[in-house]
Amino acid sequence: MENLLLLIHPAVGGLATLAALWVFVDTLNVSSASEARIKNVSLICAGLIWLAYFLGGYLYVVHYAADKAIIKAGPWAFGHDFFMEVKEHVFLMLLLLATYLPIAASDSLASSNAARKIVLWVSGLIVPTSLSMEGSGAIISLAVKIGLLFKIKGG
Amino acid sequence: MEQTELGKYTRSFGLSFGITSFLSALLVILKETKEDTVLAWMKTATIHHWVTHGLINLAIFVVLGFVLLKPNNGNGVKISSNALAICIAGSVVISGILIAGFYRL
Repeated sequence: MENLLLLIHPAVGGLATLAALWVFVDTLNVSSASEARIKNVSLICAGLIWLAYFLGGYLYVVHYAADKAIIKAGPWAFGHDFFMEVKEHVFLMLLLLATYLPIAASDSLASSNAARKIVLWVSGLIVPTSLSMEGSGAIISLAVKIGLLFKIKGG
Repeated sequence: MEQTELGKYTRSFGLSFGITSFLSALLVILKETKEDTVLAWMKTATIHHWVTHGLINLAIFVVLGFVLLKPNNGNGVKISSNALAICIAGSVVISGILIAGFYRL
């Protein structure tokens, strides 16, 4: 079950990134016809980030201690010391940013240049921040693998 | 007709996000440098210090968002779209630098 969640967590994060990108592109060409869709996709983006938070949070709080010990004892200790520490704390910021997206998207996007500007900034910030979370997760997984190989080889 | 005003929720919660994100980065540095007091309390307050951190962030974001709705007879804090965008983007960048800089490679 734990391994399945380890796959679902980044997959959900990837879908949230795509949803934020959708909001960004759709907002560039917003019309009264697309306003409702942007609001719905921004809600989906926030929901997916929250889901990724709960899945990742469960893995981190309940299961991560064993992985952490392996990483810290291996040659890629920075996988925890930098990438996990940054990931877990930047994610908290991303969670609030994603929560704010549907609030900003509830403004009159089709008729307000100011509202469009804020939604573009927020969705535009969610995309690279989410991608950095995905990248950090990949490095952390690799650090566990390298730590295990190091242990097997008697390092 | 093109509107130039932001909605009150966009202004209030946008500013709240900027402030909360920055405070969260400061809390990271505070808890890691005060392990015996701040981090120890955060560990005992919930099942994990990270859970406590998340709850503190959420509480500040929500409470501050509603507080910032109060000024101007309930119309919310006044801020231009440019200033709000700078506040949001600046907070993300500065908070990211503070966190990454603290745990630097």
